[in-house]
Amino acid sequence: MFLTKLAIKNLVRHRNRSIFTSIIIAMAILIYIFFDSLIGGMSELSYETIIDYESAHLQIVDKNYWEAKDELALDNLFTIDERVLEGVKNLTGILAGSRELNFSALLSNGIDNLPVMGKGIIPEEYLKVFALEKQFVEGDIFQPGDYKAVLGKRLAELLDLGVGDYITLLVKDNNNTFNTIDVEIAGLLHTSNPNVNQNIVYLPLDLAQQALSVGEQVSKILIRIENKDQASRLAEELGLNLIKANSNLAVYSWEELEAFSFLGAAVLEKQVILAIILVIAAIAIINTVILAALERLEEIGMMKAMGLQNREIVYTFVLESTGIGIIGGIIGIVLGIITIWFLSVYGMDFEALYGVDMASFGLPILGKIYAAWNPAAFIEVFVFGVLVSLLASILPAYWAADKDPVESIYHR
Amino acid sequence: MKRFLAFLAIFILLFTSSTFVHALTAEEIINKRDDNEYLETARAEMEMIIRSGRREMSKTMISLTDKQNSLTEFTNPRDRGTKFLKRGDELWMFFPDAEDIVKISGHMLNQGMMGSDFSYQDLMESDKLIDLYEFEIISEEEIDGRPCYVLEGLAREGKEVSYYKRKIWIDKERFVGLKEELYARSGRLLKELNVLQVEEIEGRWYPLRSVMEDKLRKDTSTEVILKAIEFNPLIPEGTFTLENLR
Repeated sequence: MFLTKLAIKNLVRHRNRSIFTSIIIAMAILIYIFFDSLIGGMSELSYETIIDYESAHLQIVDKNYWEAKDELALDNLFTIDERVLEGVKNLTGILAGSRELNFSALLSNGIDNLPVMGKGIIPEEYLKVFALEKQFVEGDIFQPGDYKAVLGKRLAELLDLGVGDYITLLVKDNNNTFNTIDVEIAGLLHTSNPNVNQNIVYLPLDLAQQALSVGEQVSKILIRIENKDQASRLAEELGLNLIKANSNLAVYSWEELEAFSFLGAAVLEKQVILAIILVIAAIAIINTVILAALERLEEIGMMKAMGLQNREIVYTFVLESTGIGIIGGIIGIVLGIITIWFLSVYGMDFEALYGVDMASFGLPILGKIYAAWNPAAFIEVFVFGVLVSLLASILPAYWAADKDPVESIYHR
Repeated sequence: MKRFLAFLAIFILLFTSSTFVHALTAEEIINKRDDNEYLETARAEMEMIIRSGRREMSKTMISLTDKQNSLTEFTNPRDRGTKFLKRGDELWMFFPDAEDIVKISGHMLNQGMMGSDFSYQDLMESDKLIDLYEFEIISEEEIDGRPCYVLEGLAREGKEVSYYKRKIWIDKERFVGLKEELYARSGRLLKELNVLQVEEIEGRWYPLRSVMEDKLRKDTSTEVILKAIEFNPLIPEGTFTLENLR
């Protein structure tokens, strides 16, 4: 008890040193929490931008569709019975479903052309699955049967196009014969997904089907569900249901899609970065704790001369150091909560701040990044900070306690 | 009366025989053109001038072809060593700087070859037109003072062709194409080829200079100049292989 009191007294007695050391630990913890939350925010945002504008939660496709996906060939299409589709939409947990026909096209404004991805859609269905409705910066969506199209503002700017202009899409139909689709631009979109902004042209499904000579076929049925964590379970359930209607169909959840496994790889990268931050934090903590112990060699010599056992000296020091760890941890966590609260409310605009376009890093993000709350990270990093300060103090304390008191006192 | 009948008979005979001589069917016209222009095997040296607005690029190449395959190697300094290999329905490209072979497939085939107005797909066409299209004579016109048959071809049922419709102007005497228009299924004009100069080489009329225009782009054209051509050369075995592409 005496030793514990001594340790606490030591903490209070060397107030400045205790505070400075704790602040270093607090900073290490704060930096970790900051990055963890920012990275969390980024991946959350990239998931959302892909789910909201491109992939939806579930996709029903032909079994062979993904293998030849990059070529956007019209080989692995399928037709779905209107009643089957209604049945799918009415399943519990499913909010909406929409047909989509994907094809590659050359977009021409009469002067130049650009390769783009065309999507034939039924607006009424599609807007229930994707959050596109509020993203129109000019004009509006088309209606089925219209000879109209919608594209990203970025893409339109590249070709100097605006609402009301006519564009030509050069496509290859099912027989590999060239065909053109002449349409008027009905609306321009600007979303947080760069791919939608610069690569995609939306057309009425019937128009696309006719121009591509594919009859009533589509490439995918995209599904929005209530809770994205239920995706795998629903995919399985839906798969079993659909196989009765068409044994060639397969259902994929968003986690299984290529874009997300790519993001998953990015997550691994982030973990490496976080680990590096932790190591740096640990070095800072160890350094401070060791220096603090060495600085007090004389004091240790004196304690020993007054009859304290090695064990008792180590105990006092470790306790003191752990105390510093706890104080630093608490300060760090409080600062972390304030920072993250601030960032989660106001966000951070990398583009405005550094002129960095996140899209050029391959992250499908535009605009502000908002910090994400991750309580687990708070606990982890607190425990980590306290443990490191505890462990880091043991060795120098032993070493100091082991010294001859005379040498310790007159170590100069 | 007898004399009149005899006169009539001779007249009819003359008239019908003369129509027999002149009324070639569309198929015959195309076949006569193919006799001139369709290559069984050949080795050609060409220059390609790509114009886009005020910019002009010149590329030179040597090309070997047989019925189904072709190998083209660029020889101008900038692209030296770049090669295209067509084997049946497949197109491969070799980049000497990356020492890499890339297969060109899917939508890439629809894009301009080396920035020209010819798509990769256009390079792939090797079947005789008569097998792919149903031709019909639609009129007769003059191009630069040369009388021509104007033929319109629609894709035959079940055949895989890039252009649904083509219109060809064929010189009535020399049976060489002087102009060609390529249309999409929607009826839109996609490409236009104008032959600027033809010459008789080894007894066959062959286009020496022609200009292709991509009608979906403005102010671009690609001129192809045939520098030298050798019909039916000996092509060593293994020329059209991926190993030979490296």
